[in-house]
Amino acid sequence: MMLTDMQLRGRCQRFLEAQPHMRKLGLKVVSACPGVVVIELPVQAELFSCDVNTYLHGGVLTTMVDHASSAATLCAVEDYELCPTLDLRIDHMSRPAQDKPLFVEAECYRVTRKVLFTRATVYQLTTEQPIAYAISTFMRPDPGATDPAFKAMIEGDD
Amino acid sequence: MSPVLNQLVSQAHADGEYQPLIDLIPYASIIGVECQRYGEEIVFRLPANPDNIGNPVLPALHGGVIASFMELTAVFQLMLQLNTPVLPKIVDFSVDYMRAGLDKDTFAICEVQRQGRRVSNCSVIAWQERKRQPIASARAHFLMD
Repeated sequence: MMLTDMQLRGRCQRFLEAQPHMRKLGLKVVSACPGVVVIELPVQAELFSCDVNTYLHGGVLTTMVDHASSAATLCAVEDYELCPTLDLRIDHMSRPAQDKPLFVEAECYRVTRKVLFTRATVYQLTTEQPIAYAISTFMRPDPGATDPAFKAMIEGDD
Repeated sequence: MSPVLNQLVSQAHADGEYQPLIDLIPYASIIGVECQRYGEEIVFRLPANPDNIGNPVLPALHGGVIASFMELTAVFQLMLQLNTPVLPKIVDFSVDYMRAGLDKDTFAICEVQRQGRRVSNCSVIAWQERKRQPIASARAHFLMD
């Protein structure tokens, strides 16, 4: 059974809300469709620095990309599986403007029996003008290894 | 060169008070990065914090928080070891996760493999109980100008 975009979005939203650090950063799910998710980091005063004018998102981008890539895996497999990240690589191409929201479009482009492969683009205006590009891999757990209560919560009843 | 940065780095070296420098990067204070110098080695610490959890089932630290902590470790290490401090600009960052980061204190050290005029090459490891059993290792390049 193919999941609808609405169902995928619901899963991503619940996945995001289940993570205290994501709630703290105020990340939002913009859209979700099979294999692809878009996440937004709204403009936030507490991430600004007035003293130095570079690297204001220091580290935040990494957290955001990790989360979006992980959410993309949710949109690529039918039953929710808690997949730990094996590795993540980010190339930073330009510096984000601190007064505009940041977006990450993450895609899980390949699903194999044991491993999931993702790529992600961080942007502010369009994906044609990337801030950063990232690739990562996730390990699929053994069948039945994901906590059943957590699985049921992420999958929801929609 | 930024005067603020210069002053904070000199102050950190003089009285061992690193927190004002760390708090310069907002996300570092949000996740709660701390640091301590032992002779020539600087060890960075990320105290256990319920807000840094990514996996509520285990519970485990958010993978992104671990990676960011390691990236920030490299940034601060570079700032502290330069004669004329600059804010290093990240070019690329690559992390391998080896074990789940549990809900406890995490430590990291950065080794600067090569410090060039324009580019620095860093490797970082992060651990919890034992340094010999790292939870993650990372490498990164930074532009220094």
